[in-house]
Parts: sequence; structure tokens; C-alpha cells
Amino acid sequence: MAYSEKVIDHYEHPRNVGALDKNDPGVGTGLVGAPACGDVMKLQIRVSPEGIIEDAKFKTFGCGSAIASSSLITEWVKGKSLDEAETIKNTQIAQHLALPPVKIHCSVLAEDAIKAAILDYRSKRSPAKAAE
Amino acid sequence: MNDVAHKITGAGQPDGIVACWSCNGPIAADALFCNTCWAVQPPRPMDHFARLGLDIRFAIDTAELDRRYFARQRQLHPDRFATRTPRERAISQNQAVCLNEAYEALKDPLSRATYLLKLRGIDTNPDGCNTIKDPTLLMEQMELREGLAAADTREAATQMLREAEAHVNQSLAHIGGAFAAGDLDTAGRETTRLKYLVKLVDEARTRRACFAPAAAAPAQS
Repeated sequence: MAYSEKVIDHYEHPRNVGALDKNDPGVGTGLVGAPACGDVMKLQIRVSPEGIIEDAKFKTFGCGSAIASSSLITEWVKGKSLDEAETIKNTQIAQHLALPPVKIHCSVLAEDAIKAAILDYRSKRSPAKAAE
Repeated sequence: MNDVAHKITGAGQPDGIVACWSCNGPIAADALFCNTCWAVQPPRPMDHFARLGLDIRFAIDTAELDRRYFARQRQLHPDRFATRTPRERAISQNQAVCLNEAYEALKDPLSRATYLLKLRGIDTNPDGCNTIKDPTLLMEQMELREGLAAADTREAATQMLREAEAHVNQSLAHIGGAFAAGDLDTAGRETTRLKYLVKLVDEARTRRACFAPAAAAPAQS
């Protein structure tokens, strides 16, 4: 199966690889996995007091599509509000990277990871509200 | 899942007596051959354990599995059907395909656990977009993979490979215990973990292959 140029670009030059301090109250961490291929993805966001995502980092162990999906989504969410970031759909990622059908789950992983990071951040800010 | 679960109701064996397609004589539903006319019988729906004449359980004797599989494969060898009718040749091939499928599913412990859970109505490997959020499991796998990525000598990679293999063995013991105790939740969770660990072993082997064997390294390093 051939990867698209965009996947290869993100795979060879991944953006925003790294980690943020998960104990920082301004940082949300999302940890998700796709057991079918043994992928594990960690995505972190640093949120300003105004609710804007200032920084995003990821660490992904998985195939090229999983790495490209997480790299792309960290680029997309920077500068967005939490509400905006939450509306990103896996189909947008899959479309942008031209993922083949068998790799769609990699984009789902990235969508789930950003949602988990937002949820983690919100539960740190107000545990009761996030649990609703 | 209902479809599969339905098939194993009762003892997991296909029930009763059927008629031989060739002579109409009565034969057991799981018989490979008619004992009246000796015509080979088509494969009938049954679970993989029944196909190989084994009880449905995780802790199978793999030597026994091999013995049963090869005994059946010998009986179905194409050479034995060279002079038979095209229909019998086709049936024997269908039987061989079903046997291979059953053997492949049961031989490897990960696929055996996955299959056994599926028989019990738990799909740990659904098609499509299945993601998990179990933080304990994922944190452990993230740390193991980070440890492997940081292994920058053959010795360190070998060490990680040994660690990964130890985790696999420990996980298999957990799965065996959970199935024996009828604890399907634990068996399911641990099977997902095993999936990650098997992948880790693969990755550790690949990583180790990146480094030359110790003998080729400079003496002073």
C-alpha cells in the first residue's frame, strides 16, 4: 500500500513531537490506543487562561498513518479554542492525508486523542463539569 | 457474535447423524469419511476446537493439537484423491481449507484467546475503528515503547526483548488463569494487553537487528 505524499511528509518530518508536563494544571493529556495494530498515541495540549490552545505535543508509537494523523492534528489545534478543536472530525484528517480505508482508524485515534486531552484539561479545571 | 455463539451451544460438536452425500448411509456429522462407502464428507459448520476434536478451552496441549491436525491433513492429502471423482477432490480440498483455518486460529495463543473470547460473545478485535482508553494499559505500553526507543545498543535492545518476552509469558499465564476461572472480563482485558506485548516483541526484534552483534563492536566501547 502506498502512502500519500502528505503522510510521508508528516512521517519523515513529524511536527510537535514531545511532551508537556502532565501535572501542569494548564495541560491536558489524552492517551488512546488501537489494539488491532498495537498503536499507542499520547497527545497533550497547553491551554491559555482564555481557553485557547497555545501548544500541542504528541508521541505516537504506530504506523506512518498514525504518526501523520497525530502530527497533523497538533498543527491544526494550535491557536484554536477548545470548542473549535473539539469539532475536528477524523474524516477531515483522513481526507487531508488521503488515508486509504484500512488506515481510517488512525485518524479516529487522533480525533479520540484530542477529545481525551480536552476532557482531561476540563476535568482538571472543574472536575464536576467535565464529568457531566 | 450470536451466530458463532449459537454454533457452540451444547458440547460444541455438531449434533447427530447425517446422510452421506454419496451412498445416503448414516454418518456422524463430524466424520471426515463415510464408514459405509468411504466417500469423503464435506466440512460441516462447527467451531475450530470441534473441527480438531478438542475440548473448548484455552489451555490446550499444543502437541496434541499438532498430532490431530497432521493426522487429519494426512487423510485429506490430494494424492489420496488423485483417482477419485472431481466432486470428491473438491470436497477434500474444502475440508483441508477448514482444517487449516482451525489450526491457524488455535495454534497461536493470542489468536486462540481472541477466538475463544469471540465464541463467548466478546469481540476484542472488532473490524473498523476500535480505540481504547484504558490508562493503566496504555501508560505501561507507552513506557515500554519509550524504553525500547531509548535502547541504543544491541545489549540494551536485547534486554528490552527479554523483558518483552517475560511480559508475554506472564500475560499468557494471566489469560490462562482468567479463562480457567471463567473471568471473561479479565481474559478480555489481558488479551488486549497481549496484543500490545506481541507487537512489542516484534518491535524489539527489529530494533535489535539494527545493531551489529557484540563481536563486531569495537573492543573498547
